[in-house]
Amino acid sequence: MTSLFIFAPFFLLVIINFPLGFLKGRCAFCLAASLLLAQVLLAAFHPWLFWSAYPDCLRQFFGFPLAVDNLALIMLFVIGIVALVSLLTAQDTLAGEKQKFNFINLLLVALIGMNATVLVTDIFSLYVFIEVTAMASFILIALEKGKFAIEGAFKYLMLSAIASVFMLTSVAFLLLTAGDISFAAVHHVLTNVPGSFFLKLAVGLFLCGLLIKSGVVPFHGWLPDAYSAAPSCVSVLLAGTVTKISGVYILLRLFSSVFTLTPALQNVLLFAGAISIVFAALAALTQDDFKRMLAYSSISQVGYIILALGCGTPLAFVGAVFHFFNHAIFKTLLFVNAASLEKRFGTTDINQLEGLGEKCPVTSVTSLVAMLSTAGIPPLSGFWSKLIIVMALFSKGRFIYAGTALIASIITLAYFLSLERRIFFNKGKPAPAAGGTATQISRGLNPAKNFSGIACAEILLAVFTIAGGLGYAFMLNTWFLPLKAIWH
Amino acid sequence: MMETLMISLILIPLIAAAITFVLPVKWRGVCAFLAALVNFLIAVLLFRKETTIIFPWIGWGIDFALRLYHFSGFIILAVSFFSLLISLYSLEFLKNKSSARQFYGFFLLALSFVNGAVLANHLVTLLFFWEGLLLTIYGLIAIGGKQAFKTATKSFIIVGASDLCMMAGIILTGYIAKTLIIQDIHLGLDRLGSLAFILLIIGAIAKAGSMPFHTWIPDAAQDSPLPFMAFFPAALEKLLGIYFLTRITLDMFKLDSHNSLSVVLMAVGAITILLAVMMALVQKDYKRLLSYHAISQVGYMILGIGTCLPAGIIGGIFHMLNNAVYKCGLFLTAGTVEKQAGTTDLDQLGGLRSTMPVTFFCFLVTAASISGVPPFNGFFSKELIYDAALERGKIFYLAALIGSFFTAASFLKLGHAAFCDKPRREDKGIKEAPLSMLIPMIILALTCVFFGVFNRIPINDFIQPILGRASENHNFAGWPSSLPLVLITIAVLAAALIHHYAAAKIKGSGLKAADHIHHAPVLSAIYRWAEKKYFDPYELGVKLVNWIAGLLSGIDKSIDWFYDFFTVKAACGCSMIIRKAHAGYYIIYVVWALTGALLVTLFAIK
Amino acid sequence: MLINLILLFVLLSAAVWTVMTTRLIRSIVGLAFTSAVLAAVIYRLNSPLAAVFELSVCAGLIPVIFITTVSFTHRISKEELPVARKERLVRFRYLPFIIIAAGLVLSWCFKIPQFNLPAAGPKEDVRNIIWYLRHLDLLGQIVILLAGAFGVVVLFKEDK
Repeated sequence: MTSLFIFAPFFLLVIINFPLGFLKGRCAFCLAASLLLAQVLLAAFHPWLFWSAYPDCLRQFFGFPLAVDNLALIMLFVIGIVALVSLLTAQDTLAGEKQKFNFINLLLVALIGMNATVLVTDIFSLYVFIEVTAMASFILIALEKGKFAIEGAFKYLMLSAIASVFMLTSVAFLLLTAGDISFAAVHHVLTNVPGSFFLKLAVGLFLCGLLIKSGVVPFHGWLPDAYSAAPSCVSVLLAGTVTKISGVYILLRLFSSVFTLTPALQNVLLFAGAISIVFAALAALTQDDFKRMLAYSSISQVGYIILALGCGTPLAFVGAVFHFFNHAIFKTLLFVNAASLEKRFGTTDINQLEGLGEKCPVTSVTSLVAMLSTAGIPPLSGFWSKLIIVMALFSKGRFIYAGTALIASIITLAYFLSLERRIFFNKGKPAPAAGGTATQISRGLNPAKNFSGIACAEILLAVFTIAGGLGYAFMLNTWFLPLKAIWH
Repeated sequence: MMETLMISLILIPLIAAAITFVLPVKWRGVCAFLAALVNFLIAVLLFRKETTIIFPWIGWGIDFALRLYHFSGFIILAVSFFSLLISLYSLEFLKNKSSARQFYGFFLLALSFVNGAVLANHLVTLLFFWEGLLLTIYGLIAIGGKQAFKTATKSFIIVGASDLCMMAGIILTGYIAKTLIIQDIHLGLDRLGSLAFILLIIGAIAKAGSMPFHTWIPDAAQDSPLPFMAFFPAALEKLLGIYFLTRITLDMFKLDSHNSLSVVLMAVGAITILLAVMMALVQKDYKRLLSYHAISQVGYMILGIGTCLPAGIIGGIFHMLNNAVYKCGLFLTAGTVEKQAGTTDLDQLGGLRSTMPVTFFCFLVTAASISGVPPFNGFFSKELIYDAALERGKIFYLAALIGSFFTAASFLKLGHAAFCDKPRREDKGIKEAPLSMLIPMIILALTCVFFGVFNRIPINDFIQPILGRASENHNFAGWPSSLPLVLITIAVLAAALIHHYAAAKIKGSGLKAADHIHHAPVLSAIYRWAEKKYFDPYELGVKLVNWIAGLLSGIDKSIDWFYDFFTVKAACGCSMIIRKAHAGYYIIYVVWALTGALLVTLFAIK
Repeated sequence: MLINLILLFVLLSAAVWTVMTTRLIRSIVGLAFTSAVLAAVIYRLNSPLAAVFELSVCAGLIPVIFITTVSFTHRISKEELPVARKERLVRFRYLPFIIIAAGLVLSWCFKIPQFNLPAAGPKEDVRNIIWYLRHLDLLGQIVILLAGAFGVVVLFKEDK
C-alpha cells in the first residue's frame, strides 16, 4: 500500500477539483489537513499491517516498484509535518479563498512529487518527480504575482533547468551504461565498473544537479531570492521540504545506497559543505530582511548536512539525517515566525521590526527556541545533530572541517542573537508619531490579532524542537541509528 | 627562670600591644611606657647572661629557637633603652594627635618583633620576626595621614623586596649548611656560599637603611609620626641591621680581609656615606636632613665592618651604638621643634636658641657627636673606623673623611639656621618643651658625653667580647692611638667650621651656607635629578612597572579590540562583500552554478 | 562524419543566433530551426521515432504557441530600443569567457582517450527500456501537466 502515499494526494487533487462548490474552501482544507495528518501518523507509527497487506486485485494498479525504509519513513514524516504547518500558515496568511484553494492544489502536487521522490526505486522516475516538485514550487513562489516573487520564481526556474539538464544527461549516461534504471542495477554497475569515464561523468553531473537543487554554495544564487520573495507559507514549504527533499535527500539516498562515494567525491562534498557553512553564515550576518537571513541560514545548515555526507562514515550519515530532520523542524518554525511577523506588521524588514516581544509572545519565545537550536545550543535538538556530525568528522580525522563547523556555529549564534535582540527584546521606539518609518509598523495589519493556525504550528514545532533535544537518545536509537544499515 | 624572662621579652610587648588596642586612647601611651619599662628591666636583668631555648614549631627541622648571649643581650638592652625613652617622649608628643590611636600598638608590636629577631637562633624564626617588622613599619608609616599611605607602600615594597632576597639567602644557607640553627652555621665563601652571603647581606643592609635601599627613609621622615623616625630608622633598624650584618660576617660566614666581598661591602659603605651626606647637605627640612644622615651614618658602620679588621668591626659596632644614641636624640630635638614651633621647615625656623635652650643644648651635644667632635662618642667610633679604613685603602679613608667634613658642614648649617639665625617669622609663644619630652633628650645627650669620655665601658664591656679571641691582645678603648689621624680629623672639622662661617658671611644666612655646593655646575644637575627622584630605584621600578602595565594593558586592549571590533568588523565586512556579490542578476548566479558544476564534474571524473 | 560535423556546427550557430537575436519572432524561428537540425541529428543517430517527436513538438507545436503569445505583446518605443539592445549585449559579457574556459577545460579533460561506450552495454535496446519499462513516471508526467495547468490558471488568469 506504499503507493497510497502517491495516489491518495492525487485522488484528493482530482476530487477537490470536481466542479462541486462545497468541496472548495474549508472542506478542501480539512481534507488536505487530514491527509497530511494521516501521513504523519503513518510515518511515525508505521503499522506493520499497512505495509504488508496487499490485496491482489489492486496489485495491477498499485504495484509500483516503491520501497520504504527508515530513511524514507523519516522523510515522509518530515514532509507531512512541514506540509501540514505550511497549510496551517497559508490558511492564516493568504488572502482570499481562491488563493487558498490554489495553494492547496499546488501543495498536493508538490506532495505527490516529494512523496514519490522519497519512495521511488529508479533513477528516471526520480528525475521526473523532482521535476514535479520543482514545477509546483515555481508556481507556488509566484503565487501572489508580485514583481519580486516572479523574479525569484524565474531564477529558480533557470537554475532548475540547468540542474535538470545535468540530471537528465546523467540519467541518459547511466541508462546507456547500465541498461537499466533501477537503483540496484545502477549500484551494481557502479560497483563492478569503477573506472568508467561515463559513469564518473554521470555521477558528477547528477551531483551538480542535486547541488543546484539543494542550494549549496556556489549553486545557491536562486535560493535567497526565491525564499524571501515567496509568500510566507510557501517559504515554509520550500525551506522545510521542497529543496531539502529534491536536493539534499536525494544526495543522501544516492550516495548512501546507489552511488559509490569515492575519495574525490568525498572531498568535493566536504569542501562544498564547508564553503556553504561559512559563506552563508557570513552572508546572513548583515541581512536586513528576516526571511532572507533565514534563507542564508538555511544554506548554511544544508552545508552541515553535505559536510556530514562527505565525511562518509555511517555515523556521519546518521548525523546528516538527524540534522536534516532537526533542520526541517526548526527552520520551518523560523519561517512560520517570519510569516507571523509579516502578517501582523506587514513587513519582514528587521530595521522596521523592533521591540515586538510583548506584542507577540508566542512568536518571540518559539523563535528563540528555534534560533538556539539552529546555533546548536544544548540541550536543543540542533546541538545533538551537530555534535554527532562534528564527532564523526573528528573520528575521521577531518579536523579542519570539524573546526569550521564549530566556528560557524558561533557566527550562527551571532546573527541570530542580534536578530532576536533587535526584533523581540529591544525596547520599541517610543510611541510612533504620525509619518516616517513608524507608519510601517502602525500600518501593520493586525498586530494584536491571534492567528490560531500560526500559533498552533509554532507551538507544535517548538515542542518538537525541545522534545527532540531532551529525548534525543530515544529518537536516535529508534529512528536514526538503524540508518547505519542503509549506508552501503 | 632565665628562659621565662627571655620569652617574656617577646610576649610582654605582644600582650601589651593587644591591650593597647583595647584601652581608651589616653591610657594607651601609659600602657606602652609601662611595657617598655618592664622590658627594659628584664633586659637589664638578662644582660651578660647566656641561655638558649628551643621549641618544636612547624616541623621539618623548623623550630622556634632563641639564644641569649652577650651580643644579643647587649642589643636587647640598647633596644629596650631606646624604646623606653621614646615611649616616654611619645607620651607628650603624640598627645591629641590622631596617629596616637594606633601608634602605641604598632610600637609595642615592633618592640616584640625586634626582641624576637635579635634573640632568634633559628633562621626561620628570625625570618618570622623580620617579616613581622615589615608589617609594623607599614602600619607605623601609614598612620601618618593620607600622603603617608603612599610612602608606606613604598617602604613596604622596598623592604619587602630586600626581605625576599634575605629569604632566598636563608633557604640557600640552610641548603648549604644542612641546618638552620644560626649558632651552628659556619660556612666558607665558595661560589654558592657567596651567593647566600650576598643575599643575606642585602637583607641586613637594607634593614639598616644603606643605599640603594634607603629611599623610603627621607619620605617617611616627612610623612610618618616623628617617634617612629627616632625609633625605627634612627635606632632600631640600625641596631638590628648591623647586628645581623655582624652575625653574618663574623659567625655564619668567615669573611676576611682578603675576600673581594669585603671590598664590595666597604665600597657600599663609602658610597652610602658620600651620596647620602651630599643629599643631606642641601636639605631644607629639619627631619629630612636628619633622615639623610641616618642613611649616611650606616655607611660608616658598613665600612667599618667591611674592613674585617678588629678595629673596624669594633668601630662599626660602637658607631652603631653611638649613632643610635645621637641620631635618636637628634630626631627627638626635631620632634620637639616640630611640636613647639609647628614646623620643621628651615626656611621658617630660627632663633630657637633663646626660646628653647635645653633643646638647643641637646642638639649641640648630639650634633657635635655625629660630626665627630672630641670628646663626644662619635669621635671615638669614627676614629676606629678611620684607622681600619686607612689600613685597607686610602680611598675609603678619604671617603669617610669627606663624609665627615660634609656632616659637620650640614649640622653647622642646620644648627645655625634653626637655632642661631634671626627668626624668619614673628612667632610669639614658642616655649621650651614639657619635661617628659626633655628628659629623653637630656638622657641621650648625656649618654653621648658618657660614651665619649668613658668609652672604655661600652667598648671593653659590651663590644669587645663579641669579637672574642681575635681582639684579646688589643686595646681599642681610650684615646685613639694614632695622633696624626686625630689631627687630620680636627683639621677637617676646623675646615668645615671655617667654610661654614665664610659662606654664611657671604650669603648672609646660615641656611644658605651650603648653597654654593648645591648650585655648583655639575652637582646642581645631579641634585636636580635627585630631587626628581631619577636615582630612586623604587621610583624607577614604579615607572618600569607602570610602563609594563601600560604595555600589557595595550596588548590586552588590542586583544579586546581584536575580539570586539576586528572580528565583528571583519565578519560584517565579508558579509557586505558577499551581499554585494548577490546583485540579483540571475545570469551571475547561472555563471556561478556553471563554474561550480564544471569544477565538481572535473573533480568527480579525476 | 563530415555531414555530422556540419550538422552540429549549424545546430550550434542556430542556437546562438536564437539566443542573441533581439526580435522575439526571429528567436522563435531560430528555435524551430534549431529543433529541426536537432531532429536531423537524432535521425542520423538511428532513432527515427525520437526525431519525429522532436520535429513535430519542438519544431512545430511549440513555435506556434510562442507565436501566439508574442502576438499579444506590443512594440518597444524608439527611445528605449538602444538601451534595451545595449543591456542585452551587456548581459552576455561572460559568454565568451565561459565558452573559452569550458573549451580549454574540456580539451584538457579529453586527453584521456576513453571516449567509447562502456563495455557493460544494454542488455536490450535502450528505446525499449524507455518505452516499456516505465510505469510510475507516466503518473509523474501527468502530474506535471496538471501542475502546468494550475500554473496557467494561477499566473495567467486575470482576476476580474
